[in-house]
Formats: sequence, C-alpha cells, structure tokens
Amino acid sequence: MAEEKKQPRIGVFVCHCGTNIAGSLDVKAVQDYARTLPGVIVADEYQYMCSTPGQKKIDDAIKEHDLTGIVVAACSPRLHEPTFRTATKEGGLNPFRFEMANIREQNSWVHMHDYEGATDKAKDAVRIAVAKAALLEDLYPKSVPVEHAAMVVGAGVGGIQAALDLASAGIKTYLIEKTPTIGGRMSQLDKTFPTLDCSQCILTPKMVDVGRHPNIELHTYTEVEAVEGYIGNFDITLRKKARGVMTPTEATAKGIVGGGCNGCGDCDAVCPVIKPNPFEFGMKPRKAIYIYHPQVVPLIYTIDFDSCVKCGLCVEACGEKKAIDLNMEDSFETVKVGTVILATGYDMFPIEKKREWGYKQFDNVITSLEFERLICASGPTGGHLIRPSDGATPKKVAFVLCAGSRDNTGVGKPYCSRFCCMYSLKHAHQITEKIPGCQAYIFYMDIRSFGKMYEEFYYRIQDEGTKFIRGRVANILEDAKTKNLHVYAEDTLLGQPVDMVVDMVVLAAAVEPTQNIDPVRKMFGVSCSQDGWMLEAHPKLNPCGTTTAGVFLAGVCQGPKDIPDTVAQAEGAASAASIPIHMGKVELEPYFAQCIEEKCAGCGMCTNLCPYSALDLVEKNGRTVMQVTEAKCKGCGTCGGFCPGGAIYMQHFTTPQIVAQIDAFLLGGEQ
Amino acid sequence: MHNGMHEYAFFLGCIAPNRYPGCEAAAIKTSRNVGIELLPLKGASCCPAPGAFGAVDLSVWYAMAARNIILAEEMGKDIALICNGCYKSIYEVNERLKEHDDLRDQVNEVLAEVDMEFKGTIDVYHLAELYYDPKICGVEKIRESVVRPLDGTKIAVHYGCHLLKPIKERRFTDAENPMWIEELVDALGAESVQYRNKMQCCGAGGGVRGFDLAHSLDITNEKLINVTEAGADAITEVCPFCQLQYDRGQIEIKEKFGIEWNIPVLHYNELLGLAQGMSPQELALDLHGIDCKPFLDKIL
Amino acid sequence: MAEGEWQPKILAIICNWCSYAGADLAGSARTQYPPDVRAIRVMCTGRVDPLFIMKAFADGADGVLVSGCHFGDCHYIAGNFKCAKRMFLMKSVLKDLGIEDNRLRMTFVSASEGAKWAKVIEDVVKTVTDLGPSPLNQLQQ
Repeated sequence: MAEEKKQPRIGVFVCHCGTNIAGSLDVKAVQDYARTLPGVIVADEYQYMCSTPGQKKIDDAIKEHDLTGIVVAACSPRLHEPTFRTATKEGGLNPFRFEMANIREQNSWVHMHDYEGATDKAKDAVRIAVAKAALLEDLYPKSVPVEHAAMVVGAGVGGIQAALDLASAGIKTYLIEKTPTIGGRMSQLDKTFPTLDCSQCILTPKMVDVGRHPNIELHTYTEVEAVEGYIGNFDITLRKKARGVMTPTEATAKGIVGGGCNGCGDCDAVCPVIKPNPFEFGMKPRKAIYIYHPQVVPLIYTIDFDSCVKCGLCVEACGEKKAIDLNMEDSFETVKVGTVILATGYDMFPIEKKREWGYKQFDNVITSLEFERLICASGPTGGHLIRPSDGATPKKVAFVLCAGSRDNTGVGKPYCSRFCCMYSLKHAHQITEKIPGCQAYIFYMDIRSFGKMYEEFYYRIQDEGTKFIRGRVANILEDAKTKNLHVYAEDTLLGQPVDMVVDMVVLAAAVEPTQNIDPVRKMFGVSCSQDGWMLEAHPKLNPCGTTTAGVFLAGVCQGPKDIPDTVAQAEGAASAASIPIHMGKVELEPYFAQCIEEKCAGCGMCTNLCPYSALDLVEKNGRTVMQVTEAKCKGCGTCGGFCPGGAIYMQHFTTPQIVAQIDAFLLGGEQ
Repeated sequence: MHNGMHEYAFFLGCIAPNRYPGCEAAAIKTSRNVGIELLPLKGASCCPAPGAFGAVDLSVWYAMAARNIILAEEMGKDIALICNGCYKSIYEVNERLKEHDDLRDQVNEVLAEVDMEFKGTIDVYHLAELYYDPKICGVEKIRESVVRPLDGTKIAVHYGCHLLKPIKERRFTDAENPMWIEELVDALGAESVQYRNKMQCCGAGGGVRGFDLAHSLDITNEKLINVTEAGADAITEVCPFCQLQYDRGQIEIKEKFGIEWNIPVLHYNELLGLAQGMSPQELALDLHGIDCKPFLDKIL
Repeated sequence: MAEGEWQPKILAIICNWCSYAGADLAGSARTQYPPDVRAIRVMCTGRVDPLFIMKAFADGADGVLVSGCHFGDCHYIAGNFKCAKRMFLMKSVLKDLGIEDNRLRMTFVSASEGAKWAKVIEDVVKTVTDLGPSPLNQLQQ
C-alpha cells in the first residue's frame, strides 16, 4: 500500500470507435481538453483503440513518456477493461493503473442528437477518469486453488451431457437431480425432430453411461440446500430426500449382505395406494412406492411418503433384500467443488390460464407433452392416440401453435418458446403416419423451422398432407353431446373466419422456467433476465457463463432451445467449467478490503456487514483491529461504505479515489 | 340510502322506453321490491350509442355521455341503467374522464358552451350488477322477492359484449365463462341452461345491425341454433339492443332466410317482473315481436 | 449550452453488476436520454459511503442518483439493502440541511433493464430540473 509518491503522469487515449463515438461527439475536442487536465502528459486519439495498433499506442506511450497511469475514453469497461489492462501491462505498468471512461454505451450511443451535450459529458467523463487514474496503484491478483471437482444441478439431457464431458475430462462430478430418475423432459418424448429418432432410445445409452461412470457421483431425489464459498471453493450442502428405499451400496453399509433395491417391483405389486404418475401427467397410475417407468436410472424404487400409509406390505414383499426403510428421513451432505453447472430445465406454462382454449375445461383439449405420452409406445395407451372423453381414435386433430407464447396480454409469455413449431410438425407427421385417414390441422402464426434440416422437415410435413391455417385460435368451444371441439380462428391468408369442428385439440403450450427454481438460482448468485430465464454473462459472447465466477448454465434454464442446442451448450458449459479445474488455480481480482490498523477502533461493526464473513477482529500489538481474509473478500465495499473511522481501504475503489472523481466532476471543469 | 332504499338515477337509454317499455316499468317496480329506488333522470338523451356514435366521432361520444353523467352529478346520485350499450358509453366515459385530465379538460371546454361541467363525482352501475351485489341486494333477496316462481322453464342467458368487455376497463374479472346472471335466473325458480356459444355477440352492436343487417342476422342465427339445441324455452339478456336483435331479428330471419325460430326473448327485468307477480300486460309483453305465450303458458 | 442557461449537475453512482450493465444495455439498444448525468462505477452500491453523498452536494451537485440491483438479486447478496438504509438516513440529513430530499434518489435497475435506465435518467433529470439549482449553489451566489 505504501509506495514512493511519484507525481502522476497520465496518458489519455480517446477512441473514435469508427463513427460509433466520433459520429455523436467531438473526439478531437475531448483529446484537446484532456491535454489541459492536471497530471496529463500525453493525449492521443485513434479510430479503434482496442485494435493492435491502438493498443500499441498505449505500450509506446508508457515507455516514451514514463507514464504512471492510463486512461482510455471508449466503450464500456465491462467490455474492454481486460483488453486495455493487458496493453498497460505490456507497456511495463501494473495493469491496475488503468481507468476507462465510458463515452460510448453511456454517452455517444444514448445522446446521438446532442453533439454539444455529448461532447461536454465526454470531457467530464475523461476528467473524472484522470482524477482516479492519478491515484491508482500497483495491485496484484490473488491466486486461489481450485477443487478438482464439479457439480451439475439437473439431470436432463443437458445436465447428463455436461456431467459426461466433465467426468471424461477426469473431473469428479456430482450430478444432482431432484426427481427420482435422470432423463428429464427428453425421456418423456416419443420421437425427436427432425430425424424422428426414438427419444428414449438415443438418451438411454447416455443415461446408462452416467450411472456407470466412475467419475460421476449421481444423487437423485436430491436438492441443493445451501451454497457457500466462491469459484474453486464452493461448499454445497445437498438435501438427500428420504426415498424410503436403499440402494445396494447403502444396504451394504448398513450390514445387509446382498441387500438393497434391485428394481424387481415386488413391492409395487402389493402396495395398496394408487396415485397419478406425474411422468405420465396423471394419465397412468403409480403406487405410493414407484418408479416412473421401466428404464429409470438409477433403477431404485422411491416411496412417496405423502401418500404412503405405512402398511408395511412392501417391506414383506421385499423380503431378504431388506431394501425398504419406512422410517428413513432426509439426510444432508456437504461437498466441495470448484465449479458448478446449472441445467434445471423447464416446465410447461399452466395453459388453463388461457381460458379461451378450454384446457382442463374440455376433455379433448390436451397439451403437447400429454400428446407425447399418448403417442409414445411406452405411454399410458401403448402409443394409441385416443380421445380422453370416449377413447375413440380421432379423425381430425387441430394443433394450436403459440399457445401462451408471443403473448402480450399479460397472461401468457411474451417470448417465443422456440421448439413448438418443430414438434407440432413432428406431431402432425406422427398422426398422419400412425392413423390412416386422420387429418392434422396446424393453426400457426409463423412456422419457425430454423435449424439444420428443419426447413426440409417442414416441406415433408406439408407434402404428407397436413393442412396449415395461418391464424391465431381465438376461441375453442365444446359440443356438449359429442365432446367435439369448435376451433374458431381467422384464416388470415384467405381473409376469412374459420369454425372448424375437430375431434381433438393439442395446445403447443409455452414453456417457462422450472417451478420454484428461484431459491436455487439465488443460492448460486445467478440473476434472471426480464423473461424469467437464467441470465447468461453475455448473450452473444458468453452464453454459458454467468456473472458469478465458476457458475455456468446449460440447456433450457437459460432460455428455450431444442435438444441439439441444449447438448451444444452443455458441452460448452462443461468446457468452460473444466478450465479453472484443469488450471488448478484461479486468479481473483484484487478489489479486496484492507484494514488501516492505525485508524481502526476495533468496533467490529464491519464484521456484521460482510456477507461472506471475510472480516474478523484480531489482537495485534495489544489492540483489537479488523483483519480481512482475502480469499473470502469479494470486494463489494459494503464494509468500506460504512466504516465511520475511514479505516477500511477498498483496493481500486478507495475513498480518496471516489472523492477525487466526485470533486473532478463537480469542482473541475471549464470555469 | 334514503328510507332504507338504495337510490339511483335511472338512465333509461332509448330502446327500452321506445320499443320495450315493459323493461322500464319492470325495472322500476321490481327494484323497489328489493330495496332499490330508481329515480327519474330528467333531460337525459341517447347515451349515445357506442357503435353508431363512438365509431364515427369520439368527441361527440364523450361530450354527450358526459352531459348525461352531469345530470346525475347534479342530482347527487349514482347512475343505474339496464342496457349494455348504455353501460359502455356511460360507465367507460365516466371512468376515462375521471382518470385523464387532458381529456376531461377537452370535454369540459365543449360542455362549457351549455354551462355544464363534468366533475367526476358519481359512479355508474348496471342494474344487474346491483342485483348481484350482496351489499346492495344480492341473489338471496331476489329469491325472496319471488311470488310466482318460474318453475319448469329452461332459460338461456345471453351476457352480451359491452357488459363485460374490455376486461381492463370493467369491474368484472371473467369474460370467458361468467355464471353470475345464471345465478340471478336460477333465483327466480327457472333453470338456466348452458349452450355452446354463450359468450358470442348477438350481432347487433358496433354499428353492425345498422350497417349490414344480413350479416348481423347471420350471427344471431348462430346463437339461436345453439340455444335451441340446449333446449331453452326462452332467452334472457340484460340489454334492450340484444333483445331487439333477437326479438325483431327472428322475424327478419324468417323474412330474409326463411328460417323459423320462435324463441321468446325477455330482458332479465321482465323475467323478474313475472316472477314478482307482474302481469304480462304490465310488462307490455304484447309489444314483443316473438309471441311470449309458449313461455307464459309454462308459468302462469 | 447557452450562456447563463442553467443545466443541472447530477452525479450517479452505479453498481457494476446490475445498473452499470443495464445502462450499457440502454446504450446497445441506442435508447436516447438527456446527457445531464455523470456516472461513477462502484462494484456494489454497498460501497456508497454517506460521505460521498455529502461531498457531492457540498461540491455543488444539484442531484445524486444511486442505482443498484433489485432486492434479492445483489451480486454480493445484500449490499443494496445496506445502501438503501444509508440513503434513507441521508435523505433526512439533507432535509435537515434545507436541501430537498428528492434531490437524492436510489433506484434499482437490473442488467436486462436498459429501457428502465433511460426512464430513470429522464425522471431524475426532470425532478432535479423542476427543483432548480441546489440551495447550496444559490447560497454561493
């Protein structure tokens, strides 16, 4: 902290950014103004400061003019601060002796019609930055070790892929899933577009690999309870919900030889309690002791203790294996990991809220996921599409697209759910193929067949005979006797209203973030975007990362996407998550708090304010003073903003620096 | 309240007094029996008709509606009315002028020419919602006022459009499948029946009846098909314009399309009047286009 | 700026993770707003020392805006809560000093709320413009 006090020698560089900045304010005038500021030795300007020649200017200027600090007036520091810090370092200065003035995102781009006002503001911004730059000092990032382990939260196809990639890279991976089995939405699908692969067939090998992989520790029926720590050193507490059934490993640990659940199903056969199976959307029953379907991984039964009557018949039927423990309780385990990937998927929007379409009012109006189960050979009807009202095979099926999506009424979601056009085409194909004489009608706004081989799939479905009506469905009414449905829409291409009588309606309902996911994402410090999906670090340049170092996103939890994009993002997230782990250490930005011990009164108020418990009171030289654990300190400054004695020194955002900025703005300036 | 009665300025509208005066008489007499006193609103004009006027010149619509409201403001009474179209004009204009200062100033500038000023001191209600509101009347009170139950009759309820929509500008929350008028009908001893296009327009409003009669009748015909399929003995509504469309409409449909329907159409107040013992003469049912006899035979 | 025509001097202290990002987003979207506000970046509004507010007004600021993350979304968990408490305190201090307390404003703008940032600026500029120059500036004259 104590350095030889050298007179500040600042170099200022004003960027044109093509016409992005130069088009809205007078770059030359800002450069000329910068020369007049105290401490400024050289002021330059250039078209694109972030380019190689631009950065070279910084390098050269430092050496030529023996500069102590650099100011670049250009875009947002959130974009190019790292770039220019590197340039500063290459010029021989400590990289933290650099300050940026944002004259683009917060100036030239938002004041495009006020040349004078924007120029004045840019001059002020440079003056403010120079004032801070004059007080910057050498700082050194702190290196922390990274735990050689990762966690993936959510075991749908995204989580599964990410876990497999991490595990194959030699990283111990905890894969956490809140339901009793992995597989997620993809295992609920029948076929996948555009290849028409059987969904479960292509997913099962990956599920089995997960179950078998030596580097993957799979925790199903488990949720994240608490998160502490920071990148490289996350301490995550898991709540392992009481399954009531022991795995062979757990049974062995309890001394039961050759015991534990082997998935035989003898318990299922005798259980007297029948409940709806959520995997089948209630269209098939399950017992209080259950598995969702025969291909679950792990193949272990689960007891729904809310429905279980503790009759004990299952215990009897299990016999020698002694796998059932009706008194099992939730247990907790804390694990340490270096990085985390969130892959928590989605739920369907409760489309009954759009009452005009009659879902949950009329028997023969179903959602697309319910359709998937009905058409799937392993589903509740063995793959026969039937009408819920009478079990008859439908002859005319209407598919309502954009149901609850692209909706600005405040009831539905304003965004596009991205994959419904494609799966509705797939559904139309399936009924055309499976049910001879059955006619599919797709009521659409647009057909978004954007991906590889998607447009060709669209041609195919058109050729197969599906009829397309371009118009939003306004209302669906039921014929009380036949339970047929009247679909009212406008055929906008013909300019005519349509009242079509169909046997069945399938709503391509909107998707939304998994219910109750907010507490989980907040535990990891992940924000959400305006549309409710988890917020990525940058939508174009960093779609897998988040603003919390060490936490990454994969799959639909970051925004609606299909299986190819989910798997791609999962692989990207796994790659990004493996980098700190492979490097073994990660550098933390040195924005730490420091205690100025001469000024510290030892009151301890700051220790209560710190959200990371990074501050402690210690005895030093007979006095009680505060001490910072740098590894825990994230540099938020909450303690610094409070200390009444000014005894806390926030590196890189010191009180003298901020006051200098305030003074520069308000007291400096052209008199 | 006055003498234990809830008092309202009764905005009549046009169609009821001119075509179905029984609605007016019924409204006044039946309301009295359930604690609501409807006071005459002197000098009131057409609301003005939201479709015919509002679609052509908004400033005229605002000014004329405001004028009607001011007459009630001067009486110091909230307005009660019996027509969906009037409801749209009077209720919506009242709310909008209360909320938007610049609009109110514009309208008051026009009304200044006749020395009137909109102050925004009263509220506007449809008589049917007053009947339903337990604080004013309530379904039970309606039931208790019945002396001649409409037993054995099946009645299809037509809500109409302007009563419930646009939802953002109404007190009601459900425009997809409300059931409260059915409750009021059942309280009379009748059986309300559900039919498929219950929430569809009758075809009259929005200027459609005036501009393209054949088209409006096509819409009415759709409703008549479904009402008949549901086995209704009569249609009831809370809007004299809907009543006109159904009542005269059936005659026009027979003339133009050769389709014969003979479903009696009665405003809820007429039904309430019958249930409270008023005679068909008092209710001027003989002025109806479609003969109400088949319905009356079931209850008298 | 015409000679003698008063333009408000408004200081904004905004947090890196939410409001600064939101302000950048307004820029990417080219949402236009008045240029009267000069921003200083801090990592978290929890860093904002009441001293900064006082110094700004003492230096002649006509208005001060502090903007951070929404409650529950603070990148450092709860810095914005602590700042909000300090801001309430500062408002009453300002009132006691005879400075209108609505010259100091705290807002919550998330990283995805570019449009909201522009509205906040417009609103703050309007409020301060309507209030006129800070009483401290008038005293000096």
